[in-house]
Amino acid sequence: MKLLRLWPQRLVGQVTLVLMLAVALEFIGSSLLFEHSRLYPDRESQTRRVAEQLITAEALLEEASPDERAARAAVMSNRVTQLSWSILPSLVDGGRDVEDEFREEFLEAEPGLRGRDLRLRANIDHALPRDTHLKAALKLRDGSWMALNTRIHVAPWAVLLSGFGSAFILGLGVIAAAALVLSNLSRPLRALAEAADKVGKGAHVRIAETGARDLKLVAKAFNAMQDRISGLLRARTEALAAVGHDLRTPLARLRLRAGFVKDAEAREALEADVDEMAAMLDSLLAYLGGQEDPEPRRRTDLAAIAMTVVGDAADAERPATYAGLDHLPVQARPVSLKRAISNVVENALHYGGDASLTLAREGRTAVLAVEDNGPGIPETELAEVLQPFHRLDSARARNTAGLGLGLTIVQQILQREGGALVLKNRPQGGLRVELRLPAL
Amino acid sequence: MATAPLAPVILIVEDDPALRTLLMRLLREEGFQPLSAGHGAEMARVLETNTVDLILLDVMLPGSNGFDLCRSIRRESDVPIVMLSARDDETDRLIGLELGADDYIGKPFSKKELIARIRAILRRTQNGQQASQPRGHQQMTFAGWSLDPGRRELLSPDGAFVDLSGAEFDLLLAFVSSPQRVIGRERLLEMSRARFSDASDRSIDVLVSRLRRKLAVTGQAESLLRTVRGVGYIFTVGVERR
Repeated sequence: MKLLRLWPQRLVGQVTLVLMLAVALEFIGSSLLFEHSRLYPDRESQTRRVAEQLITAEALLEEASPDERAARAAVMSNRVTQLSWSILPSLVDGGRDVEDEFREEFLEAEPGLRGRDLRLRANIDHALPRDTHLKAALKLRDGSWMALNTRIHVAPWAVLLSGFGSAFILGLGVIAAAALVLSNLSRPLRALAEAADKVGKGAHVRIAETGARDLKLVAKAFNAMQDRISGLLRARTEALAAVGHDLRTPLARLRLRAGFVKDAEAREALEADVDEMAAMLDSLLAYLGGQEDPEPRRRTDLAAIAMTVVGDAADAERPATYAGLDHLPVQARPVSLKRAISNVVENALHYGGDASLTLAREGRTAVLAVEDNGPGIPETELAEVLQPFHRLDSARARNTAGLGLGLTIVQQILQREGGALVLKNRPQGGLRVELRLPAL
Repeated sequence: MATAPLAPVILIVEDDPALRTLLMRLLREEGFQPLSAGHGAEMARVLETNTVDLILLDVMLPGSNGFDLCRSIRRESDVPIVMLSARDDETDRLIGLELGADDYIGKPFSKKELIARIRAILRRTQNGQQASQPRGHQQMTFAGWSLDPGRRELLSPDGAFVDLSGAEFDLLLAFVSSPQRVIGRERLLEMSRARFSDASDRSIDVLVSRLRRKLAVTGQAESLLRTVRGVGYIFTVGVERR
C-alpha cells in the first residue's frame, strides 16, 4: 500500500523515479566494485610487505632458541602468510624469470637480504583472478631454514579492468531494467497510437483508461473525442436522412401536379425528372440507412429474388436473362438483397446494354454473376467504382441518373450478410459482377 | 360496373395541406367524391358523419400515426385502406399490410398509379366481397409450401422466403383460392389485372412459367401448375387453411 502511494501518478514523475533508481543502482554498484578493488594494494607494496615479514620473522627466529623456533614461527603465521621453521630446506628455487623478478624486488625492498640464501618459488593460479602463490625459504645464520608461504594478489590494472567490465555489465543491466520499466509505462501510448490509426476506418475503438494519470487523461479525452465524432457523424447522417424523407412530400406534390399538365410531352418529361429525383433519394437513403437496417435476416431463396428482378426487367422489355439454379437458400435480408441485385442488374442494363444472370453454388458460396456485353470498366478504376459518389468519367459525360452510390450500396449490403462483391472485366469484353454470399 | 353507382367516397388523411388539396382535386377530376382530414381526430369526426368507401391514409401524421389509425379503424370496420408513405420501405409496407391495410403506396406516386390502385381495390371490394376475405392472417399451405396473404409472403418447404412479384403473388393466390379446379386464362388475366391494371400486356403464360420455376422442386417439376390445353391451368394439389 505504502509502495503504491510512493509510486508517482504522473508520467514525468514515473520516468524521473525510474531514472533516479537507475542512477542510484549504478552508483551503488560501481562504488562497491571500486571499494573491492581498493582492498588490494598494488603488487610492489605486497612484495615489499612480504620482504619486510621475512626480515622481521628472521630476526625473531634468530633470537629464539632452536627448540622454540617452530612454535614461534607458527605464532607469527596468519591467514595470508604462513611461517614455518625447519633444519633442512623445504624448497628448491624455481629459477625462472618470475622468481628472479620477485627476488630483485625483495632485495630492493630489504637490502638486508642481499647475499643471503633465498629460495623462491612462484605459482600462478590458472583460475581468475590469477593470484600468485609465493613460497620463500631463507637460510638462517645457523644453517637452519625458515619458510614463508603467501599469496600475492593480482596486478591492480587487471583488477581495474575487471572492474570496468563489471561496471559495464552493471550499466547494461540497469539500462535494460530501466528500458523495460519505461516501455511498460509507454504501453498505453502505443495502444493510443494503434487506436488512433484505426479511427476513421469505420471502427469504434475504445482504449482502456490505464497507466499514469496523465496518460489516463489522454485515453479519456481520446474516447470522448471518438464519441463526439461518431455523434457528430450520426447527427449529420440523421439530418441528411431527415431531409431526404422530407423531400419526398414536395416530390409527391410535384408528381401529382405533373398529372395535371395538359401537354403530354411536358408531362412525361416532368414525370421522368421526378422519377429520377426519387431514385436518387432512394439510393441516398439506402446508403445512409444501410448501417442500421431494421430488416431481420432470414432464410431467403436467392434464386427467386434474381428471377423477380430479371422478370421485372423483362416486363419493361429490357434484355435480361436468368440461368442456373431454381433455388438456393442464403441467410440474408431479402429486401436489401433485392436492392443489391436490382442495382447490379440496372447497371448492367444501363452501361452494358444487357444483363445475363447466372446463379451457381461454388462449395459453400452462392455466386450470382451478372454479366453484360458493354465496355467494362478500366482495370485502374475497378476499385474506385466502389467508392461512394464515384462515377466513371464516361458515365458522367453521358449525363446519367443516380448519385454514384449504386455499387457502394451493393457492397455495403453484401458485406453485412457476410458476402463480397467482385468486379471483373470479361476476356471477351463486358463486365462480370459477382455477388458472393455464404450458401446455406 | 354496369349501372353507374354513386361516386365512391374517398377520405384522404394527410397532414400536408398542399398535398391534400392536390389529392382532392385529382380524385374529384377522376369522378370520386373526396373528403379530407389532417389528422386522426379529424378523421374520426369525418367517419362519424359520413359513409366512406375507401381511406387514403398517410403514415407520417402528427399525433397518432397512420399505423395506429389503421389498427383502430380495423377494429370497427372493413373499409378499404390504402397507406401512403414517404418511406418506401419494405418493413413499413409489411407492417401496414399486417395491420389490415389493403395496399401501400410509397411517395412519390403518380396520378395514374394512385387511381389505378384505388380502382382495383374498389372493384375487388364492391364486386365480389369474397375477394377480400382471405385478407388477414389466414395462412395457406400446399405441398409443404406456405402462403401468407396478410404479409404477402411465400415460404418454401425448407422455410426459405421466396420472393414473388406482385402479379405472381396475385396469380398464385388465385390458384390457391380455387385449388384442383380448372381456371380459364381469361379469368386469370382478369384477376391479375384487377390489382395491377396499369401493368402492360403481360401474358398469363409468362407469369405461370415464372411461377412454375419459383415453385419448382426437384422431382416434382410441373405438377403444381398443370396446363389444361386450350382452357387454362389447374392447381393440382390440395390447400390447407390455418
